Amino acid sequence: MKKALLALVFLFSAVSLLACGAAATTTAEPFDGTMTINVYTRDTTSGTRAGFMAGIGFAAAEADDSVLVDGFIIKDNTGILTAMTIDEYGIGYISLSSVNSTVKALYFEGVAPTEANVINNTYGLKRPFMWMTRAEGDYPSQDVEDIVNAFIAFLGTSDAGDIIANNGAIALPSSVTWDSIKSQHPITLQDNSGVTVRFGGSDSIQKVAQALTAAFMPKCGNFVAEHDHTGSGDAYKRTNDPAIKDTSVGKDVGFASRVFKSTEAVPEAQRGQLAWDAIVAIVHLNNPLADVTAADLKSIYDGTFTKWSDLDAE
Amino acid sequence: MTGQDIVATMKNTAASRRVDHLAKGVFLAAALISASFIFLIAGIVLFRGFIPFLSDNGGLGRVDLFHFLTADVWLIGQTFVSNLYGVGYLILSTLFITTLSLLISFPVGVLTALFIAKVAPAPLAKILRTVIETLASIPSIVFGLFGAGVILKLVYDFSMAIGYQSKGGNSILATVLVLALMTIPTITSISEVAIRSVDKTLEHGSLALGASKTQTNFKVILAAAKSGIFTAAILGVGRSLGEATAVSLVAGGRRSGVSFDLLDTTGTLTTMMLEGLKETTGLDYDIRFSVGLVLMAVILITNLALNAVKRRVGSVHVKA
Repeated sequence: MKKALLALVFLFSAVSLLACGAAATTTAEPFDGTMTINVYTRDTTSGTRAGFMAGIGFAAAEADDSVLVDGFIIKDNTGILTAMTIDEYGIGYISLSSVNSTVKALYFEGVAPTEANVINNTYGLKRPFMWMTRAEGDYPSQDVEDIVNAFIAFLGTSDAGDIIANNGAIALPSSVTWDSIKSQHPITLQDNSGVTVRFGGSDSIQKVAQALTAAFMPKCGNFVAEHDHTGSGDAYKRTNDPAIKDTSVGKDVGFASRVFKSTEAVPEAQRGQLAWDAIVAIVHLNNPLADVTAADLKSIYDGTFTKWSDLDAE
Repeated sequence: MTGQDIVATMKNTAASRRVDHLAKGVFLAAALISASFIFLIAGIVLFRGFIPFLSDNGGLGRVDLFHFLTADVWLIGQTFVSNLYGVGYLILSTLFITTLSLLISFPVGVLTALFIAKVAPAPLAKILRTVIETLASIPSIVFGLFGAGVILKLVYDFSMAIGYQSKGGNSILATVLVLALMTIPTITSISEVAIRSVDKTLEHGSLALGASKTQTNFKVILAAAKSGIFTAAILGVGRSLGEATAVSLVAGGRRSGVSFDLLDTTGTLTTMMLEGLKETTGLDYDIRFSVGLVLMAVILITNLALNAVKRRVGSVHVKA
């Protein structure tokens, strides 16, 4: 009795293991264009979603689920990546730094999603990460101004580039190291632990900005970096808008995850780009689609196209 | 006993009484601390959960409580701009998913418990008991990863095989399977204790009256242990209702409408609280406390209802 039961248990485990193996090796059927497109998206709080929707010309969907196609599926970055390894008829988007060979990364408007194409500005589904500072002489103190200038110089170094890349964005190429330029910034030699520098602007850049200031503080006399990120619109308003810059929400450095508008004009020395954030539309490896346009993606996400064959028919 | 001995004994008694008093104080303090945490947590969730209904949420206006409890869309309009939040459909899908997962985990769990307690030979029972206890202690994120990596694929392939296109496997079915896997060990281990504590004389009496082993197991032992088994089910339901991490990886994040289609996406109160929590601010953050409040109410009401049923079902001769 005892042996028979033990044998039964082993047999059961063996069979279930075999069943798993069998399920994993089902052969792929040819791609069926009449199938419904399964639309995957990030939730409305995601900066990647805001960048993607703005990039495909569907800004209304940046923070509003109700304009999206019916039956969309909400997942996080990794969730969308793994979903595209399972769901043959799905489409999603992730940040370029997360793309790997388990999914098919789509060309956007005929351009391959590579870091090189982002930096040479041919790949279009991306947004710039910009910085803006207060005007010369318009800081709470000379120390703050010197620290901000040192920080901006730091942003252009390969040291900062590594930090930006580690946080999922694409740094602009640089061969300058911090060690080679730090002597131009004597402020970094003194103790700045009593000096507070205020950072703000885009919340999409907050993670990158905090990583950058965290790395820069010990290099610059341990000044205090205060982060209060409220949106790209506040990058200009809180550093240069005369009505706001000197109130309690005023900032020394503001970040924006888009190019500055003509209404946000400041002298060139006061603004610049620190990185690119590139987003890639991805599908299952079995999907024959290789290239999409912004219009295609908008039609998929707003529900104009519901079947894969709708894309060929155009 | 000499006079000296008596004095020594009395001294000892006095000393041990002091230790008793001290120990009692320590225990009382420990009990007060753990109990106060419950009040603290409940209090903060209660307080923060009510804020969206009472304040004007930084200019967005008060959230309408009735709309919140009955709406079948999570948010009408833009995040950070609209205050039209709703969880009505989430309450229903949470209860639906919990019921379905109990339909799987309850029979499997109880029968496993019966097997371990009464049928399996001692060495096998010992191994199985260890396996079940290990399973019960696996963190939910591991179940979630298993769900996202294995169950989603199985559900996707299964639905393709029956000619239905699922949403990449993200579905009620996948959620129910993950929750069933998570609650089976809870139900099994508690049911097993209940089954083992059934008075042996009942079992012997049944056997002596000529009932077979199987008849005894089902008609006498399970019936006698039903109170304990019911407790197991209540704890299983509690775990299902409160699970967030694992569920959010396989549910699909449904934003509107109740769906009873097993292969369609779904959402629960817990997944709604979790999704985007780390990125959001303002009302969109505060409202998650309100969802937590609703979840606590749902769990409380479900528990009260199940306990009422349990009292009516009653218990038969379970050894105290």
